Amino acid sequence: MGDLVDSMLDLMRRLPPTRTEENVTALIGICPEYADDLLGSVDQPLKLRTDRATGKEYLACDYNRDGESYRSPWSNEYDPPLDDGTIPTPKLRKLEIAANEAFDTYREMYYEGGASSVYLWDLDDGGFAGVVLLKKTMTPNSAYEPSGSWDSIHVFETVERGRQAHYKLTSTVMLQLVTRKGSDGETDAAEKGNGNGSKSGTKHEGEVSLSGSMTRQTEQDWPILDSSSHITNTGRMVEEMEIKMRGLLQEVYFGKTRDIVYDLRSVEDLASERRQRELQKELVGRLGKR
Amino acid sequence: MNANGRIEAACSFLLQSPPGEINDVLNDVRNIISDDDSLHEGVLPALKEYNLTQFMTVDVPGTDHQSIISEAGRVEATEGGQERFIDPRSKTTFLFDHLSLEASDSQPAEPDADSEPFRAALEKATLTYLEAHFHDGVASIFSVKQTTNQFIIQIVANKYNPSNYWAGRWRSEYTIDLNEHTVDGKVFANVHYYEQGNVQLSTTHTISLSLPAAIVTSSPGSSASKILALIENEEGKYQTSLNDTYQEMGEKTFKGLRRALPLTRQKIDWDKVLGYKLGAELASSKGMFGGS
Repeated sequence: MGDLVDSMLDLMRRLPPTRTEENVTALIGICPEYADDLLGSVDQPLKLRTDRATGKEYLACDYNRDGESYRSPWSNEYDPPLDDGTIPTPKLRKLEIAANEAFDTYREMYYEGGASSVYLWDLDDGGFAGVVLLKKTMTPNSAYEPSGSWDSIHVFETVERGRQAHYKLTSTVMLQLVTRKGSDGETDAAEKGNGNGSKSGTKHEGEVSLSGSMTRQTEQDWPILDSSSHITNTGRMVEEMEIKMRGLLQEVYFGKTRDIVYDLRSVEDLASERRQRELQKELVGRLGKR
Repeated sequence: MNANGRIEAACSFLLQSPPGEINDVLNDVRNIISDDDSLHEGVLPALKEYNLTQFMTVDVPGTDHQSIISEAGRVEATEGGQERFIDPRSKTTFLFDHLSLEASDSQPAEPDADSEPFRAALEKATLTYLEAHFHDGVASIFSVKQTTNQFIIQIVANKYNPSNYWAGRWRSEYTIDLNEHTVDGKVFANVHYYEQGNVQLSTTHTISLSLPAAIVTSSPGSSASKILALIENEEGKYQTSLNDTYQEMGEKTFKGLRRALPLTRQKIDWDKVLGYKLGAELASSKGMFGGS
């Protein structure tokens, strides 16, 4: 029933990115037997949790989940506690601790807030895989302040080949920007005096919501000196990818939605433009006849 | 999930359809639910709601124009589950099928003699406005049922371009009340761009205007064109402000979430990040990343 999963993915590609969580939950309700396929292929906004041991915030997703519990990258503990929860081997955990610290610095420099988490796990073929998660939310202090959220999920796999390592990176960015505006028109005061008892002046109220999700992949080879090279290598790849995707969202995707609005309605008077063009044609035609 | 829950979920998916993609969403939902019999019956209310709120357009039988399917044009009487809508422009009513989106059984409809002159004047002015500012726009102008001094102007413009992965819809609705001297408007824009991604714009904007007494008391023709001039001005201002909002979002909100580059204006030196974090005893990160 591959086409059933295809239909679900097609549906998710069409419905608003702002309602991904709700829609995935509904789809799982309809087809519980495809829950794993769906959760494995549709990225959802990351959940923010607090490490009970360290008080630090971390991000929860399918990659640090075991049953109903989530593992914190800071204390390596599951919450709610698990006696036999899956944890990385000591060697990989050492790398995971270093990666979390490095990406925490990355987070501070690019996000100036928010939260980050890195989770690593061993692969059967001897390599390992990991996920780098970043999230920032802007909550407005008043009605007309902008709000928004950024979630990025970078899943990578790596295999060492001598002094080189091959990396496969799949990155998803989910973004939402909301602006609310309201204004009382300038004619308000002038019209108050006319006493007709009805609403006076001009009032506006509105909201603009731009949301999007996109996924990109890349495969690259990088040199390795020791295991910590995996952090600098994936760091450079994630940084490069986020710069590229942020640029695409801002310049290409959001720009395109604005252009489409102008394709629907024109600020300029189309009728007078049309008349002008016809007049021009007529003139050219007359000149041609002479 | 029981049968009712599945239908409810299906209805919710349909109501979220981006412009021009309701059939794609319906096909997906059909595959997922795989029970056509209960689905058809169950999702009909959602299809109806979608058509009415999204200002679905229909070719009016026996004319060369389209009209808008909406609550304002719904005629009370329904026959055999089908609904009848009015097209005031051709003075006809027709049956509308919410699934096939087709009109049939056209019947003449006598307009209300008191309100028709002003409605017709508004229609003329709106169609001129439509020509001037909309690519592929459709407008319908209704007299509000059982009143003489209230009118509703509806405008919809759609552009569907599935081969280039985008679609957009602009809707506006204005309720003109000549007793209260007011115009209340709502404008909605929805855009979906889905080439290797899923990006959606959704805007709402409400406008309340009071009409100067001079506009209300002039002849229908001059009054209507003045009202449309006000609407033209408001929509033009709104579109310009939308452009400013884009600018603001790009420069402020986007940057507030994630900077394009760190404060240092350089990419990160990962060797230093690692060296520092892995055990260096530097007290602060100042000067670590070059520059600043």
